[in-house]
Order: sequence, then structure tokens, then C-alpha cells
Amino acid sequence: MYRITLTVLAFGIGIALVMALTYAGQKSSGPIEDAVTTIGTKVTEIEHEVVVSTQEKSRADYLSWFQPYRIGTYRISHPDTILWGAYDNTQSDSYEPIVALEDTLHMKFAVVQIYSAWGSKPDERFPFNQAKAIYDLGSIPMITWEPWLNDFDNEKFPTKGDITNRNWGGMKAIAAGEYDAYIDEWAGRVKTFGANIYLRLGHEMNDPYRYPWGPQNNKPEEYIAAWKHVHDRFIAAGAKNVQWIWSPHPAYRQFNEYYPGDAYVDWIGIPTLNYGTVAPWSQWWSFNDIFGVYYDSLAVFKKPVMLSEIGCLRVGGSREKWFADALANLPVRYPLVKAILFYHSNNDNTTMDKTLDWTLLRDKPTIQAIRTAVSRWKLPPMHQPAVKTP
Amino acid sequence: MPADTKSFWQYREALQATAREKFLLGALVVGGCLSILLLSDWWFREEHVASLPLFVILSAILWWGMLRMIIIWVSYLHISKPAPRPAPAGKRVAIFTTSSPGEPLGMFDKTLAACARINYPHTTYLLDDTRDPRYREVAERNGAVWLELVGLPGAKAGKINGALKRTDEEFILVLDPDHIPFPNFLDEVLGYFDDPDVGYVQVSQAYYNQYRSFTAQGAAEQTYGFYGPTQMGMHGIGASVAIGANCTFRREALESIGGHGHGLAEDLVTAIRIHGAGWRSIYSPIVVSRGLVPEDFGSFCKQQLKWARGVHEVLFAEVPRLFRNLTGWQRLSYITIGTYYLAGLTTFLFLLIPFIFFWFGIMPAQMEFVPFLVHWLPVAIFGVAIYLYVQLWMCHPASERGVHWRGMVLKFACFPVFLMGFVLSLIDHPIPYIPTAKQSVKGFTPFARPLIAHIVLFLVTVLYIVFHRSFIVHEAALELTSERTWSMVGFAGIAFLMSCGGMIAVWESQDLPEEDPWDSVDLDLIVAENKDRLDSITKPS
Repeated sequence: MYRITLTVLAFGIGIALVMALTYAGQKSSGPIEDAVTTIGTKVTEIEHEVVVSTQEKSRADYLSWFQPYRIGTYRISHPDTILWGAYDNTQSDSYEPIVALEDTLHMKFAVVQIYSAWGSKPDERFPFNQAKAIYDLGSIPMITWEPWLNDFDNEKFPTKGDITNRNWGGMKAIAAGEYDAYIDEWAGRVKTFGANIYLRLGHEMNDPYRYPWGPQNNKPEEYIAAWKHVHDRFIAAGAKNVQWIWSPHPAYRQFNEYYPGDAYVDWIGIPTLNYGTVAPWSQWWSFNDIFGVYYDSLAVFKKPVMLSEIGCLRVGGSREKWFADALANLPVRYPLVKAILFYHSNNDNTTMDKTLDWTLLRDKPTIQAIRTAVSRWKLPPMHQPAVKTP
Repeated sequence: MPADTKSFWQYREALQATAREKFLLGALVVGGCLSILLLSDWWFREEHVASLPLFVILSAILWWGMLRMIIIWVSYLHISKPAPRPAPAGKRVAIFTTSSPGEPLGMFDKTLAACARINYPHTTYLLDDTRDPRYREVAERNGAVWLELVGLPGAKAGKINGALKRTDEEFILVLDPDHIPFPNFLDEVLGYFDDPDVGYVQVSQAYYNQYRSFTAQGAAEQTYGFYGPTQMGMHGIGASVAIGANCTFRREALESIGGHGHGLAEDLVTAIRIHGAGWRSIYSPIVVSRGLVPEDFGSFCKQQLKWARGVHEVLFAEVPRLFRNLTGWQRLSYITIGTYYLAGLTTFLFLLIPFIFFWFGIMPAQMEFVPFLVHWLPVAIFGVAIYLYVQLWMCHPASERGVHWRGMVLKFACFPVFLMGFVLSLIDHPIPYIPTAKQSVKGFTPFARPLIAHIVLFLVTVLYIVFHRSFIVHEAALELTSERTWSMVGFAGIAFLMSCGGMIAVWESQDLPEEDPWDSVDLDLIVAENKDRLDSITKPS
């Protein structure tokens, strides 16, 4: 009996010790984690400074005109030119694909897009290193922040809703503060980051077939409440270096119902992707079909517009012509459009069970068409979308 | 470096484990095992696999180490120390010590003189194959019986078996000639043979020359834990092993297995056979003699190569043959010992991983550093806690406790030797019998070459990385790869520092003290230091 008691006690103490350590480990998402993260960031910073100082001219030097956009609050929300940008799906280890595309187009991308999902995993935090790398290259990160809620740890993020499907009523739960710990940490890191970022939260919220933050799980007012709540948490955290991009899908008309209000939105983001005839539900839509016809109803918001994902597949028509039409005299036709971001993915399987290739890099006629159209624009010379300097 | 090694010559014993201490240790072990469980739950996830073959290799290395750690932890829970028993009067005891050509004569003079001062009546035999009359002279001058045993197979074991045929004492103490016994040696161990099932009694091996070099210090450090908590734990589970010197055998036990075992790990072969024949073994954690550890890196490597090759022989030949005759704990214990030198292979692979990343860009695992740290840290904390806690049971804590970093460096630096021993065993290729150096061999040993190669490889790779990242890597890639690259360099840097440490040992080995260590050993002092102890165990109760 004595032995058994001792053994059981020893087990108990052992388990208690582990729990204490585990608990300390979780709480100290503080000390250890911060220290390691800081070391990592410092190493990256030092290397960047050492290496860049040895090089003659870095990419950031070519984008020096863009500096007023990156720091400060006025210029970023009152753009005086059209900003170019892109997302490339192969950019996880290097932004060289972005550089290759802009070199081919004879541009400098002021904006680089990153997609970031919600969740409690480490890679679902604010992508600090990626954003910092974009900043050091002279650009501004545009982060498409997708509130997938099923990736949250059930213990750390209990919910009053359905634990097996957090997305059901998810916007309501966000507004009720169930994810504040996550939001606050994200916002804290954004504040630490310091420079301006574009944040496109819960995009295409009015598309009933796509994302879980859409109508299938939420009512429009719930979406708006969630948006406002997140926005307010950022303000409360002191993360004021954020440009909020509200990004509906204009083809689903009732997008007005989802507008959070002038005080909560800085930009309107519109995806303009032409899927051609790859799917039964799609056909060859021109830029005018996708964007032009809705322009007036978007203009009522009086916000700068970002074409957050521009792209065209090659099935069912001429991509060259599509881009030529889209960009011809664009600053005059759509004066509110202030940023255009290429969607440059060679491996897009988000909408269909086959893989779609949106890349332009090797499509010389399209590249030429874009260059020609843009060269005819009449913008102030400094802001002529940076012609490649020798 | 303490100049005063006087304390070495006094009888020492490890503490008995109290219930309270065992209880605390038990709690730590439970905590450690749970931490390992939690780590494994996190480790084995599909999302962590970057390159499947490399992930499997990395996991095998890591979890092999964890498994061994658990086995040793559990055996610590059985730590026990046999109660001292007075030696019965009138037993007939022989001391066997062997000499081979080239071994220093002065050492035999000292050891045989010390044997003559052992209190319990006994006969000392010098088992000699030097064909040098001076050895006979030294033996006879010190009252030992000189037995010439020339041309027998199996070196030391052959001579012991030859001598067994020419003698008839009931108990035989096999003493390595560098070990200077204390007067109370036999009085401490003979009592345990009262139990007719006891086949041999092993005592601790301690040293007196560890302060003479980095290698000696490191080599000694590697043994402190083994002759303390490890063997005490093995004693507790009935699997303590005989280790060369300082083992007292019952003649009947040796004869029951056809004499002392042969091979490069002859002692382990003997131990497993005696266990297999059903005899019990005793490990007594007492210091009743002190000997020599290799002082130079080359000699140490030779010794390790011999053991690495020999131990695998036990694993491949003896364990399967005797498997059915061993207890469960003995099986586990011999398999664990038999696979110790696999560390050579695992260290080699471990060392290779960062270079595979640098050269080919292949990562074994897709893990964020911070979560890894968070899961691994509890294991490390419990590991260190247990490591430090069991130092309570070292034989001479005052000189043995501490963080044995020299021992770790030396173990790392020997990985090519371990690997060679393992490979030789796999292809069943012999290495010649190399006697453990009793005297330092001067010069830059060939065993240093793998270390130099590793150091050069690391430096060249780092130079290449710096060049590549300064001038070739595009600035658009620099920051995204910075953390990963430099943490890998840091990881590789640990192994680099270990190799550098090994090179310190190599460098220092070129210029070691000239004086023979045994010259300064004062036998009268040893008698005086141990007089009280001897009186206390021999006075009639």
C-alpha cells in the first residue's frame, strides 16, 4: 500500500510538473517566443543592412517617389497616381517572381499582395517577415486577410456557437469578441511593423457560393458588425497604419448591404478576373462586363478603388485584347481607380477542381499590349508608372 | 586543475538512495516521459514533413535518442546499492593482472606492490607474455607469482584462461595493471559471495590521472555517471555488467561458461554469458582502486574503436544466442549497451542535415522554430534535471559532479571512430587487438582527420554562404530566407564547436606531461588513508 501510494503520488507530481511547464510555455507565448522572434528579426535586419549597403542601388531606391505613401496617413488615402502591384503564388521564398514580372512590364510594383488566413497556428499570425521584406524592397504589403474560423484551437478559443463548424454565424462571433485575443495579437504586430499596410478583410463577402464569411453563414449586418469590431480593436491596439480595403464582388448586386460605412473603409477593392470559358458558369466577360458596368455604383462611395486581382485566362478569347481594352485610357474612364494588382498565379485551384494558370510572364503579346496601353496614359511624369531605370 | 589529488586515494562510496530521493526522481521521470509524449504528439504530423526520407531519418535519430533516454531513466528508478557484508575468513583468492610487450615496467612495480598491501590473504599472479625477464623480476620482488603464458589466442582473455588452468583459488580478481588497489579491496567485495548464486562482483572504476589533460578529463567524465547511477540502476534490475578491471569472479561461474570470454569486449562477453548461465551479479559503487584513462586523443580513440567493434560483437553474436536465457531487463540492458555506439551513425547524419540544406536546399522538416522550442524545452528541462539529480549517486561527488562538457565534446569527436566500429562490425571485418595505451603516444593522431575535414567543410560552407548571399542572392529573396539560413548555420555551428573542442584535445595531446603518473603515487599514503575504513569492516562484530 505504502509503495502504491508513493508511486501514485510521484506520478501526480510528475504530471503536475509537466502541466506547469506546458502552461508556462503557452502563457509565455511571451518571453521565449518573443526573444526567439526578436533574434530572428534582428538577424534578418542585420543581414539586409549589410548586404544592401554593399550593393549599388536597391529596388527601394527606384521606388523612392513612393516613400510618402509608405509613411504617414495622408498620401496613402489620397493617391495622386495609379499604383501597380501583384501577387505571385511562387513568392513564398523570394519575391523574385514579382520582380521578374515588373521588369517584363517595365514597371515597379508599389504594392505586393499576400494572402493570410485566420487561425491559432503560428503561420496564421501577422506575416511580419514577409511584410518587412516587402517594405525593405520599397513597396507596401497588401494583405488579404481571410477569416476562415475552423482553424482555431478549441481550447484557446472557446465558442458559444457550433464548435464543429465555427464558420456558421462566425461574423457574429467575431463581433461578440470571441476572437479578440487573435485580433489583438495581430494588430499588435501590425503596430510594431509601423509602416502603412493595406488590409483587405473578408473579401467577396457578398458571394453566396464562395467563402464561409459570406451569406451562407452570415447576415450582412453581422458582417458589418464584425468588420467594425475588428477595425475598432485595431484602433484600440494603436494599429493606425492600416488602410482598410472593403472588397465586394460587384456581380452579386446587393453589395451595398455589406458596406461598413465611410468611417470604417479607406479603399474599395474589386477583383476583376475573367475566367473565360473554363467553367460551365463562366463565359468570356470583358473588363467592362466585370468592372465597367458597376463603376458608377461603386463611385458613390467616393473612395479610391483598387483592382485587387486583375487577370484573364486564355480560354475562349484573346487575352491580349482583353488587357488592351481594359487598360485603354483607364485613368480617364475610371478616375477613381488608383491601384491595379495583377493576379499572377500558375497554380490556382481555389475555384475549380482543375488548376488554372493566370501568368503573363511568357505571354509576349499581352505584355506588349499592357505596356502600350499604359504608355499612352497621361499621368504626371514622376508618377508615370516607373519606367525601368537602366 | 586541483594540485591536491590526495583525496583520490581514500575509499569512497556512493550514497544509498533514500525513499524520498527515489520519490523525487520518480516524479521527474514521469514528468520527463510525459514531456516526451507531448513532444511526439506534436512532432509526428503530416504538415511537418518537408522531405519524407530526410524526415524519417531525422525522426529516427531523435526518437532513438529519446527511447534510450527513457530506458536509462527507468533504470535509474531501480538504483540500489548492496548492503555491505563482512568478508568471510579463509577464502582462497587470486589476483590476476596481465602484462603485454611494451607496457611500462614501472607501472607493474607500483601495481604489484599495491597488491601486496591488500589486507585479505591472497595470491597475486602476473600473467606475462613479454618474454622479458625484467617482468618476472618485478613480480617476484613484489611477492607475486609469475606465470609465463605465451602464444595463447585472445590476448588478455587467453592468458586468464591459461592461468585458470594452472591455479585453483575459489575467487579471482581481474585487475588491470594500471589500477592501483587499496588495501581494503578484497574485504569490501568477498562478503557478497556468501550468496551462492553470485557470479561476479564489480566495483567502480576510478582514475587518478584525469587532471593531466583535456582528453583524460573528458574520458573520465564519460565514466562518472556510468559507475554511479547507471550501474547502480543496472544492479537494481539484475543486469550490472563486468567491466574489465576490478571485477572479482567466482571461479565456478567462469568455468561454467568455459572460461573468460574472448574478443574486443571480452568483459561484456563474459558478463552476458555468466548472466545467461543464471548467475547473479553485484555492482558495488565503491572506489577501492584508481587507474589511468587515456591522456592523449589518439589512445582514447583506439580504446573507443576497440570497444565499438567489440560491443557490436556482443550485440550480433551473444545477445541472440543467449536471448532465451536472459531476464527481460538483462535483454533490454545488453541491447541498450550493444547499440550505444550507433551514436556514431546518428551523430554523422545529424551533422549532415544542415549541409544537405546548404548544398541542395532540402529541409527535412517543415517546422517553425518557436513551436519546436516550446515542445522540446520541457524535455530538455526534465533531461537536465534528471541528469543533475542522479549525480547524487556518484561514487565521489566532490570530484565527479558537474556539467561534463569535456566528456560530451570527446564523445562527439569520437563519432567517426564509433561509425568505423559499427561499419567494421556490419561487414564482420576485424581490427587488430590494440591494447589501451597506458602511456601517452606523441604526435598528431590520424583520428583528428575527420574533425579537421568537418571544420574545413563548415568554414568553406559558411564562406560560400556569405559570398552567395552578398553577391548572388537577389534582394527580393534575401529577407525571406535569412532566418532559415542563419538558424541552420547556428545549428551546424554547434557541431562545429564540438569539433573545435575535439581539436583542442588533439592539439594538447601533442605535448603532455613527461612524468609517468604512477611515479608520484605514494602507497604508504594509500594505506594510511584507508586504515580507518579497513579497521571498521574487519573488526569482528
